[in-house]
Amino acid sequence: MKRSPEGAAKPTVEPGLEGTVKRGLLRRLPPAWRRPLAVTGGLVAAFWLVIVIAAPLLAPHDPLAQDLPRLTAPGAGHWFGTDELGRDVLSRVLYGARVSIPLALLLVAMSLLVGGVLGACAGFFGRWVDEVVMRIADLVFAFPTVILAMVVAAALGASLQNAVLAVLVVSWPSYARVTRGLVMGLRNREFVLSGRLLGFSAWRSLRVDILPNVLGPLLVLATLDIGTATLLLSGLSFLGLGAKPPTAEWGAMVADGTQQFDKWWIGVFPGLAILTVVLAFNFLGDTLRDALDPGTARTIGAEKERVA
Amino acid sequence: MPRFSAGSYPVALPLVAVAALALSACSGGTSASGSSAGKTLVVDTSFNLKTADPGREFEPTGQIVDKALYETLLSFKGSDVTKPVPGLASSYEQSADGKTLTLHLRAGAKFADGSAVTADDVVFSLNRVIALKGNPSFLLDGVTVTKTDASTVTLVSKKANPALPFILPNPALGILSAKTVQAHGGSATATDGAEKYLNTTSAGSGPYTLTSFNTNTQVVLTKNPKYTGSDKPTYDKIVLRNVQAPTQKLNVQRGDSQIALDLTSDQVTGLSGGLKVDSGASSDVIFLLLNRNTKVSSTTANAKFAEAVRKGIDYKSLLSLAGTGSVQPAGVIPSTFLGALPASEAAGRDLAGAKAALTASGIAKPSVTLGYASDLTVDGLSLQTLAERVQAQLKEVGITVTLAPAPTTTELDNYRNGKEQLGLWYWGPDYPDPSDYLTFLPGNLVGLRADWKAGADPTLTALGDKAATTIGDDTRKTLYEQIQTRMNASGPFIPLMQPSRNTVSAASVTGVAYNPVWTIDVAALGAK
Repeated sequence: MKRSPEGAAKPTVEPGLEGTVKRGLLRRLPPAWRRPLAVTGGLVAAFWLVIVIAAPLLAPHDPLAQDLPRLTAPGAGHWFGTDELGRDVLSRVLYGARVSIPLALLLVAMSLLVGGVLGACAGFFGRWVDEVVMRIADLVFAFPTVILAMVVAAALGASLQNAVLAVLVVSWPSYARVTRGLVMGLRNREFVLSGRLLGFSAWRSLRVDILPNVLGPLLVLATLDIGTATLLLSGLSFLGLGAKPPTAEWGAMVADGTQQFDKWWIGVFPGLAILTVVLAFNFLGDTLRDALDPGTARTIGAEKERVA
Repeated sequence: MPRFSAGSYPVALPLVAVAALALSACSGGTSASGSSAGKTLVVDTSFNLKTADPGREFEPTGQIVDKALYETLLSFKGSDVTKPVPGLASSYEQSADGKTLTLHLRAGAKFADGSAVTADDVVFSLNRVIALKGNPSFLLDGVTVTKTDASTVTLVSKKANPALPFILPNPALGILSAKTVQAHGGSATATDGAEKYLNTTSAGSGPYTLTSFNTNTQVVLTKNPKYTGSDKPTYDKIVLRNVQAPTQKLNVQRGDSQIALDLTSDQVTGLSGGLKVDSGASSDVIFLLLNRNTKVSSTTANAKFAEAVRKGIDYKSLLSLAGTGSVQPAGVIPSTFLGALPASEAAGRDLAGAKAALTASGIAKPSVTLGYASDLTVDGLSLQTLAERVQAQLKEVGITVTLAPAPTTTELDNYRNGKEQLGLWYWGPDYPDPSDYLTFLPGNLVGLRADWKAGADPTLTALGDKAATTIGDDTRKTLYEQIQTRMNASGPFIPLMQPSRNTVSAASVTGVAYNPVWTIDVAALGAK
């Protein structure tokens, strides 16, 4: 508790922010969320979530309509330029958010569920359950992630659902491993054992005693993973194994951009979209970790402030 | 500079590196001056080259190289492939049944080593191509080559072969010096071992000789002073370099090279620096295939549906994707070949007619899958782009097209086995003669890929058989026009376009002409 008054270090950050309302609002946030990176991450993520919901209202054109002049540089009427078929790149980037972000979230949720349940079973029951689940996880870990995802996607056929499945296959083991470790540490603790002695079923014990204790770290992992999932999904589309044309999808748009190298706008804007989403969710993940795990927050926070 | 990099100023290092880069970039521009003085021509192309041995090569870059190194019996002038002109043979006669072709050799023709070109050399060279069973061997399928006298050669085909005069200009059928090749392990049998020698030294009578040859980096050709042909080459030295298209653009712009062969239409727009762009129609015809097999799709097998697709496509809008120089062929035979339908016969968009045909087809809400190779580009035009445009156009008619992109290797199987409902492919000619397109007829190779079975259209088959055996350019032209008109009315193929071929050249280079067989004849290029 040496450095518990985190707020005392805050003034170094606050002078940059103006207005008492804003300051009051920020002050009400937990300390970890007041860092500039956390605020940036939050704002950018919120920005993209708004776009996901409101894309049809914001997009100036139909993302599939091929009625603009081809390969026009960014300018009035088409702020991000047009692609090789005369489609508006801005509208396609906005609509692309509706594909990439929900799918990345869905993917992480599914990985969390699959990996978490399997890992919890492995950690709680041990013995052969543990052996089987963890050896399968090791097997997946042994393959390079992208290559394995490519193999799965290629075997199932190119489509977005299959790309999600492919990434799911490679992403669940990290959750399983983390969950297993946490559950193994908890299963012989007094509060769990006492529950068992009171006659709790394994399921109830997992749900009531263990889940609340493992959820925090898992959520941190999941948030950090949203960026990776976005990248992997876009990567598969880039390779032609994800989104089917003419769907507006960022990875596929970047791939189009590589065909027209001197028309930079075709690839740069969807690339920037991927970059900002990945960065935003990584910042959020960091913050979440700091907030949920005071141990690391203290050391990392102290380290950061010492550097600053 | 060594003072800076000595270590006390590590911050200066990146600066030095940047300065060095900038300097080297500037120096690139100066090397161009050497070309005009020494009459060296630098041609940039993305290599597809395996060998310089005419009996074995059939790759685009190999054709450019061998066209310069070897003379063929007949040739084409510039980009005109509708009429064979004299090469090593000064004249030829074809028998009435189309089976015998007699060629008279030009007097006084000499190889680069000074020895005379004889009928024996011709017989040896052509027999060697047949015996090697290499990529170009099919050109002389069923042909027997015999020497009649010292200056006459007779080619006898098993079946009538009116296309032979159009096949002979292929650089793979270049004439080699029998004596030289035999002295270096060559023979007109499968055991021939002259390829290695022919990749270091040429043995032909062409306007250039081979100086150095590397299939990955560059090929250097030097003028043959003993060349006996009519048009003497202008440049003393030709350097052919393997360069990818984006770099070709940079090189030709800053004068590092004088010719760039592989720029796409989008890349040539906005070229600066007084460069000339020669855009001509490629002989690759991109077409849409509608499968006739009701098991594959009862929709595409429907004749009225096919009519709706044919009328529903906006061909002009497709051409805008391929840029200047691209044309819409009126039939499957490219516009530059003998027997091509006149442009006025080409299909146009008729949206109302397409909708009416769709109603008449009796199919409510038709939905079909379009298969294509997503990684394939035809003369710089991506089939992916084209497929997306076709999809959007047919949507306006009321046809839902689901795109099914796949890597070429996968999709080629579906195409060859006739499993595609709609297919988007192209046909690149093996030789510039309409008979190469009989393969689209019912029961033939490409026809079967649309499940157009033999007997599906007896009239068309009869016309095809007649065209295959008739000689005489005018009669053949009429027959092929009839065939295509009938195919357009009832066939399963819809020719969409011939993309453009762009040759970018420096202002000093003259005589640039795109030829579908050998891309460019470097010996015909001039300087001003």
